[in-house]
Amino acid sequence: MTPLDSSGALWNLLEHNRNNCEWKLTVMATSAVARETVFALRRQIAKIEGTLPERLEAPAGAAPVDADVTPQNPTADVTPQGLTIVRRGLAVAPPDAFLRTGAEGLDTALSGGLPKAALSEIHGAATRDAGAVAGFALSLVSLILKQGPRLPVLWIGTAEIFREAGFPYARGLHAVFGIEPEQLLFSEAPKLLDALWIAEEAARMTALAAVILEIRGSPQRLDLTATRRLHARAQNAGRPVFLLRQAGEAEPTAAPVRLILSAAPSASRQTIAGPLAGSIGRPAFTVSIGKSRTALPGQFTLEWNPDEHSFEERRGEERRAANSVPVVPAPRRGKGPAAASGAVLAFPAVGSPAAGDQPSPSERAAHRRPRRAG
Amino acid sequence: MISHRQANAQRIAALDERAEALHLKRGMGIADARAMHPSIDVVEADPEADRRLLESLADWCDRYTPLVALDAADGLFLDVTGCTHLFGGERSMLDDILSRFFYQGFDVRAGLAATPGAAWAAARFASDRIVPGGEEEALLAPLPLAALRIEPDIRASLESVGLRTAGAVMAAPRAPLARRFGVSLLLRLDQALGRLDEAVSPRLPVAPLSVERHLAEPIMLTDEIERLVKMLATTLKVDLERRGEGARRLALLLFRVDGAVSRIAVGTSRPLREPLLIQKLFHERLAALEQDIDVGYGFDLVRLSVLSAAAFDMQQADLAGETRDDGADIALFADRIRARLGDSAVLKPVAVESHLPERAVATLPFAEAPQRVSPPKKPDKIQDTKPGFRPERPIRLFRSPEPIEVPATEMPEGPPMNFRWRRALYRVARAEGPERIAPEWWREAAGQEDAPTRDYFRIEDSDGRRYWLYRQGLYGASQVPPRWFMHGVFA
Repeated sequence: MTPLDSSGALWNLLEHNRNNCEWKLTVMATSAVARETVFALRRQIAKIEGTLPERLEAPAGAAPVDADVTPQNPTADVTPQGLTIVRRGLAVAPPDAFLRTGAEGLDTALSGGLPKAALSEIHGAATRDAGAVAGFALSLVSLILKQGPRLPVLWIGTAEIFREAGFPYARGLHAVFGIEPEQLLFSEAPKLLDALWIAEEAARMTALAAVILEIRGSPQRLDLTATRRLHARAQNAGRPVFLLRQAGEAEPTAAPVRLILSAAPSASRQTIAGPLAGSIGRPAFTVSIGKSRTALPGQFTLEWNPDEHSFEERRGEERRAANSVPVVPAPRRGKGPAAASGAVLAFPAVGSPAAGDQPSPSERAAHRRPRRAG
Repeated sequence: MISHRQANAQRIAALDERAEALHLKRGMGIADARAMHPSIDVVEADPEADRRLLESLADWCDRYTPLVALDAADGLFLDVTGCTHLFGGERSMLDDILSRFFYQGFDVRAGLAATPGAAWAAARFASDRIVPGGEEEALLAPLPLAALRIEPDIRASLESVGLRTAGAVMAAPRAPLARRFGVSLLLRLDQALGRLDEAVSPRLPVAPLSVERHLAEPIMLTDEIERLVKMLATTLKVDLERRGEGARRLALLLFRVDGAVSRIAVGTSRPLREPLLIQKLFHERLAALEQDIDVGYGFDLVRLSVLSAAAFDMQQADLAGETRDDGADIALFADRIRARLGDSAVLKPVAVESHLPERAVATLPFAEAPQRVSPPKKPDKIQDTKPGFRPERPIRLFRSPEPIEVPATEMPEGPPMNFRWRRALYRVARAEGPERIAPEWWREAAGQEDAPTRDYFRIEDSDGRRYWLYRQGLYGASQVPPRWFMHGVFA
């Protein structure tokens, strides 16, 4: 259905929506065909209003519409057929629109995982965190490669970042993330503008499994417009673009998700005789949610299993090494929201507001909803 | 008037008509000339610039034939065999060359003959003459010896025995001539008369295929050039298909109205013949060169040449399913980036058999990296499962290891307790190691002192970041204390 042939009904419905009527009951009373029409119209409304992604009930084919879709157990697998994602400028996202990290707490907080067809920002506070930032991005790439066809991965960086943070080392990437050297492509751009151009060209390609763009600092060129262009291309191609920003401040971005990464002390190596004292085990990351449209800020500690190529979430303090990191990071200067402003979720948040128990769309019209900064 | 230094004196190298009218001559001393005419304007000769000008003229002459050769400091050979009919015959081609050069401001003389020697002589001593095949002898006979392209000392000795014209030399018996004046005289004579073949070695390699378009109205816009490229590439595709080849290297030649020629080359990482893709590659190249190309009054001739071609691999269709198309997509993507940002803009890692970490992976430009021949491994068949020692390797490696300051170690051979890297102090919380990596002695030159061994440590600092450090050398092994380096970063 195009906006043209349905415009009359559409605008009526839009008005309807604005007036906060109880239109759900109307939907329930109508037939399946009518319901489908209404859902299509709601998608159009979302498109016209430029709303953020939000949950809508499934169209025909799914179970009868329940006015209060509240997952009883948010930590369980979020049923894809129970959700329809509306995103700006795009029709319904496929059910596997989210990349599940495998860490339940993080997946729940992000309501299903990281969006697959989108730009995602991964920040590191300083250049010395480049190992953790790149490691986390690569583990996400490794998860993508594990699920899908083994397509190449392109890693774009400026000459500056490769000099300052080191060039990706294919042997290590293979050992830790299982990414074959043949699957890797690197692009070293002399200038940021060239790197952005390459990234834009690469983001529209479906022949790449993922694109990693690594930038140092907070350059002027990488503004809202530039990220929006990357995001739009990633959406159209259906491939993720990971924007790694080393030593950068949180700035306005079109990316739906921004994660702030830092290294976490690793657990000791496990041997038959128990943990080996003083040894350095699997890579571990501390992930803070800096921006997400669905989640409140939170912090998680994830451990990467290089043998299984999967994440494990580290819960509580029992496996944490003696020198633990502060649970709430110190506030940093910058115009973005402080990462520590939200609740710290290190365990499955049952029934928390972040877990999908959202108010009905009629209660929170897009133009009234307070937009989260950043 | 142009002067040059010859035999330690400034002499006249070249002069214009007005200077000639003053009875000045080549080879005359500048001091003498100034004494005769104090108002003359003298410029120092610049052979380099002359050479560059001649080369740019040679490039421009490429519009007539791909076989253009430089001849000494002031001449050009154009091998127009098989090209004249494109310009309406020999006479009109010669007229076209002369008139175009005239409007560019050059004083040009030309000759056309069946042999390079005869054409040389015709251009210099019988201007604008077209010598039909077989009449070389008639042309050369009345000309002075200089028309034979021989050394000045041979010419002088020939003149000293009374042979003053080429005809006289031709009439003389050959054997005594060869004995007295050397073989080169007869060689030049035979070449001029067509008895011996003389190869004109072209300045640029001749492209196996090229298509061109003459334009009545010069074009100036990049869009128009791109559209023309696509048009030319469409014509080229037919030829490439007939030969069963695809282009690996393409050049676009833009002939400016006033004689300058821009040459734009792009490379492809696999044979290419699709016009649209060729246009895309040139689009990127033109975008990158936008500042460097001087459009001037526009281009009136555009030529697209295939510099090198390779067999167009039809076997690609045999590879499984989507891999084939993706490979082509990525090759085109890499080519486009290469066209804009240079050959090393897209790199591909290639595993190398070496235990030195920095040598174990070579990053090659995409076009040079070997293409994968075997189908990709299935995810469940990764051969990592074999037990045994698998050394930990970092995920990022510094191109050159960065020196760090290590004030103290617990044990002489042990890991550091803290270190200073990039002016920041790091406290070591845990360490693993050492892993000793010796240099590759088989790669060192004989007699060269052995490079010190490296002891690598995995370090975790108090914040949980993991690094790869190494100590170069051993304590007490030599007078120089060992040095510490930061080599990589772990996840």
